[in-house]
Amino acid sequence: MKTFPFIYNEPREFLKSLQPKEWADFLLGEINPRFSTTAIKAKVVAVREETADTKTIVLKPNWLWKGFRSGQHVPVTVEIAGRRVTRFYSLSSHPKDKHLSITVKRQKGGLVSNFINQNIKKGDLLELGEASGEFVLPKMIPSKLLFLAGGSGITPIHSILKQLQSSKYDGKATLLYFVRSYEDVILRSSLEEIAKTTGWLNIRYIFSDVPKEGYDSGFLTKEILKKYTDDLKSYSVYVCGPAPMQTKALSLLEGNEVKSELFLLPGQTSLKVKKSGTVDVFLSLSHKTIQVKGERSLLEELEDQGIYPQSGCRMGICHTCVCKKAVGSVTDLSNGEVSELGEENIQICVSRAESNLELEL
Amino acid sequence: MRTISKKLNNEEVEAFGKEVEALREEMMAKVGKEDAYHIRFIYKTYRYTEILGRGLIHFSFEPISFVAGSLLLATSKILNNMELGHNVLHGQYDWMNDPRFNSRTFEWDIVSDAHQWKFYHNYMHHTFTNVLNKDHDYGYNFTRLTEGQKWKPTHLTQPFTNLFLAMNFQWGVGAHGYRVEYMEIPKKQRKKKTLKDYKAVFFKKIELQLVKDYLFFPLLAGLNFPKIILGNLIANLIRNLWTYAVIFCGHFTENAESFSVDDIVGETKAQWYLRQLKGSSNLDGSNFFYTMTGHLSHQIEHHMFPGMPAKRYREVAPRLKEICAKYGQHYNTGSFVKQFASVWKRIIAYSFPDSIAGKLMGTKKKYLEPKVVLSQPSFQISLPGEEKSASLT
Repeated sequence: MKTFPFIYNEPREFLKSLQPKEWADFLLGEINPRFSTTAIKAKVVAVREETADTKTIVLKPNWLWKGFRSGQHVPVTVEIAGRRVTRFYSLSSHPKDKHLSITVKRQKGGLVSNFINQNIKKGDLLELGEASGEFVLPKMIPSKLLFLAGGSGITPIHSILKQLQSSKYDGKATLLYFVRSYEDVILRSSLEEIAKTTGWLNIRYIFSDVPKEGYDSGFLTKEILKKYTDDLKSYSVYVCGPAPMQTKALSLLEGNEVKSELFLLPGQTSLKVKKSGTVDVFLSLSHKTIQVKGERSLLEELEDQGIYPQSGCRMGICHTCVCKKAVGSVTDLSNGEVSELGEENIQICVSRAESNLELEL
Repeated sequence: MRTISKKLNNEEVEAFGKEVEALREEMMAKVGKEDAYHIRFIYKTYRYTEILGRGLIHFSFEPISFVAGSLLLATSKILNNMELGHNVLHGQYDWMNDPRFNSRTFEWDIVSDAHQWKFYHNYMHHTFTNVLNKDHDYGYNFTRLTEGQKWKPTHLTQPFTNLFLAMNFQWGVGAHGYRVEYMEIPKKQRKKKTLKDYKAVFFKKIELQLVKDYLFFPLLAGLNFPKIILGNLIANLIRNLWTYAVIFCGHFTENAESFSVDDIVGETKAQWYLRQLKGSSNLDGSNFFYTMTGHLSHQIEHHMFPGMPAKRYREVAPRLKEICAKYGQHYNTGSFVKQFASVWKRIIAYSFPDSIAGKLMGTKKKYLEPKVVLSQPSFQISLPGEEKSASLT
């Protein structure tokens, strides 16, 4: 640390500690809750029911929103019982639409997806982050496209189809949409509208639970792929859906150009491990030592004990929960790698304790 | 140290601890929306009082609005330090996952650096509450408050040094803080350089506070700068006196007990709860008063449950009182005037050697058994009359 006068050596830090941003945010927020200089706050302008358990939330963000590309996703923060929770959702709208929208299907036991479906209404405020993700079309659009969607995995694909529509695509595209039943088809009218007005899109619904006459039923197989594609190898493929479907798709499509996007629910990231005994975690800033089992992510195990570090996406994307590990080793749940013993920054939402740890928390 | 609580055997202590822990769990399960609403309301009030206060100081033409501005600024600083800062830095609102109320990111309007404060307050003071030579808050290094501290002639001046401390409380807190960190390093490992580093953190915060209150805002007012400096001085002075008063009432009232390092060897959680109870004292008042003390009016509850959102202490207090009564434990509470007077009685008494201090405090009496009726939860402890104390020496 440099010495006196600090203001001369660190003028920026000094300015920052006068909290100009906090003041601006506070005052702007008092004028209009959507206004801010630091956070993308979006007002809900409409809520549309897609199916019995899926809703589309139409959002009007503030001036900090930088836009997105079709197929990308965005972190959405809602407040549930006083607590801010963040999850990622694909944008289902087209980038040139007046407002942006996310389409959220209730997940069994899903905290945020259920909350959004039950409680979000017109006029509410959500906080967004910046859009990101590589599940987008390349600059040179391939002439043959195959989309494999499963359940709510249709949302980014819907956005991509809209983009193709607006860019006057003249190739050929096939959408195989795996869904439980006819009633569970999300964004049906919009999809069919695209197919009708353009002519290059071929939509096939495949029902896994409730068969319907005139439609295929079952899961993703080689036969179904063959049935709806001529010369499978020539397609560029986009896959978005639940994990089993993706694994299957990737094994069937070896040799193809495949882009896939997989959203994991919190807790799903962990390779389930059972351990006997506990390890000590020393939190150096609060001078506490706690015992964890090392079966799940550090974040989850800390929260179980009433310690709430700052966190965000819970899947290793947003880096909100990064903290310094001074001693010990952890396993990175996203790739299964075991870390070194020494000092490094770790994301506690995707790190599992391997040995006794010292964290700067 | 005399105690006016019933002496409990080990099973009783553990049973007491169990009930307290059950109460804590029950309350923590309720924490949610209301608490989030409360802290946001406090945040809002703190921002508005600061804007209004500073605005009035700047644009006042007569003394009344100037005084009002200074008072508002003092209110803002008090809210920032106590209900917001103190509680947020305890991690009471970490669960909200909001960077404004997170103990990792919060920094407050006081010369004490938040990180340093967390070390010597959250860790040292809250773990070793009222343990002599371990709790550095006990007497703040120069106030003698129990026979356990050796009397020195300099202690004769402590009524005056305490007045001085009261007026400059934030400086006392900050300066005391960086030293504690140093003192906690094992003696052989201490290096002058480390002390310098700790000092630099403190000095940086001082500089920031001074620049803000006595340079930045006065400069905004141009030639009117003396008025702004005066207004900030008044606001800081009021805040200092208020925090001193509230904080000293927390542990140094007449019947708040102190402990020795030997007392806490192998201490269980239940024993820890009991020590927090015996070492702390509460203040009665209105809801507004509670908020302005940052709920340190509920020092006992705060010391037992430092991680619980502070407004919940109001709900906890009557239940805890019942538990204490059931086990014959003295629940130290009283009006602000009464408690503050007893703090000063103690400060004055212990400025003298033990023979005189004992007479003044009446501590020569050994353990006093209160009338305990275990079956009756609404039990009230009757304090033995003070007038008898002198004759017992």
